Amino acid sequence: MLTMPRLILIALGAALNCSIGTIVYLVKLPVFLDAIGTILVALLLAPDRKAAFLCSWAAGWIGLAVSGLINPFLPWFAMTDVAISLVCALLIVGSAKTFRARPLRGASFAAQVVLCGLVTGVVSAVVSAPVVVYLFGGVTGSGSALVVAIFLKAGQRLMSAAMFSGLASDPPDKILQVLFAALLYRATPGEFIALLRE
Amino acid sequence: MTPNGAFAVGFILVALGVSAPGPRGAAVLVLVGLAFALVEVGGATLVALRRAALVVVPLAAFMGVVWVGIVGRSPSQIAADAVGTRSAALAYVAAISGRLFFIVAVVQVVFLRFAALTPLGFVRALALPAAVKRVLVVTLSLIETLRHAIDRAHTALIAAGTLTRAASLRNIVHFWRLIQAVWLSAITIVLGRIRDKWPVENTLARLDRALVAGTPQLFAGRDLLWLLVVLAAAAILLAERIGGEP
Repeated sequence: MLTMPRLILIALGAALNCSIGTIVYLVKLPVFLDAIGTILVALLLAPDRKAAFLCSWAAGWIGLAVSGLINPFLPWFAMTDVAISLVCALLIVGSAKTFRARPLRGASFAAQVVLCGLVTGVVSAVVSAPVVVYLFGGVTGSGSALVVAIFLKAGQRLMSAAMFSGLASDPPDKILQVLFAALLYRATPGEFIALLRE
Repeated sequence: MTPNGAFAVGFILVALGVSAPGPRGAAVLVLVGLAFALVEVGGATLVALRRAALVVVPLAAFMGVVWVGIVGRSPSQIAADAVGTRSAALAYVAAISGRLFFIVAVVQVVFLRFAALTPLGFVRALALPAAVKRVLVVTLSLIETLRHAIDRAHTALIAAGTLTRAASLRNIVHFWRLIQAVWLSAITIVLGRIRDKWPVENTLARLDRALVAGTPQLFAGRDLLWLLVVLAAAAILLAERIGGEP
């Protein structure tokens, strides 16, 4: 299952996860986009769900290990990456055909991007909430902390405030990530995908 | 000390740090952490502390704004539905910030301990399966490749007037082009390497030989000594938690 091209794909996915952070910083965007590599690895290995799960998980964790040198808080979200990989293998891989269809079927493409992004966002918010509460006391450095503050001010408990904040901010970010991963998947040369399936 | 030992000691210290120790446990933890830093990295301890401050101080300030300024009471007061005080919120922010500072400082000390090693030398010294080491090395190499690709594409897109250096609406609309340019550049490079460059240069076999040369030991004697010290600290924290007295 772990052929040389797939090992290199894992490294490429991990490198992409780390590097997109640089792009977000360079163009000063108010989003995370930290799992595009993970989602893309799963898409490139469709329809093999088992390989998609294992390789995207590996890409996510290696990306976290390397990014952890710069931001030591990222590795704490390791379980979020496992959850994202699982959603990729079970749900997003099923949309690979639609994402790569030529010509592009606009409505179906958009619907599947939104559905996959929403599910990934909800799962990621639920899995991340305990880390946000326990490690950061509910407030990370991102703008979503202000949403937590609003919920706390309204009398919500910390865990539910962090969960609601995650549910408000994660789905839009994950919809964007699935959209970009799908567009990169469309743009990937067929010979590279063939190499991964050999 | 081996990187494996340093990671194990760092991991245990961080785990103890997030276990919310009491005052005595926290003091023991700070002492052990400081001793580890001073013995293993010496003067670079200050570098580790400065880097930890650079990461945590802005976050602590932000937490202060949210908890003390906006919410105005601590989570325990919210849970008990009690009247909140800003001092309790401030104490909560201080406790969380202290814990985060400790975590970042320990991670920095672990990496500063091996600052003299090249990335390849560092990966080689880790006791990991060969495939994992290979993927780590290729990942580090690809990150560099992607950084160069990002620099080139970013400059080109700014020169073309597609993106701007400062934050702008144009960046939000067109940054996608930068991601796509970088990805296509990376795929072309990887395909070239897999198909032509690496087979001709026998790169992967050479890399494997370099990674397995001088098979690293899991723990050295010094690692075991530090592991004993941190495990003793863990026992003190556990005793404090169970009985209130070590």
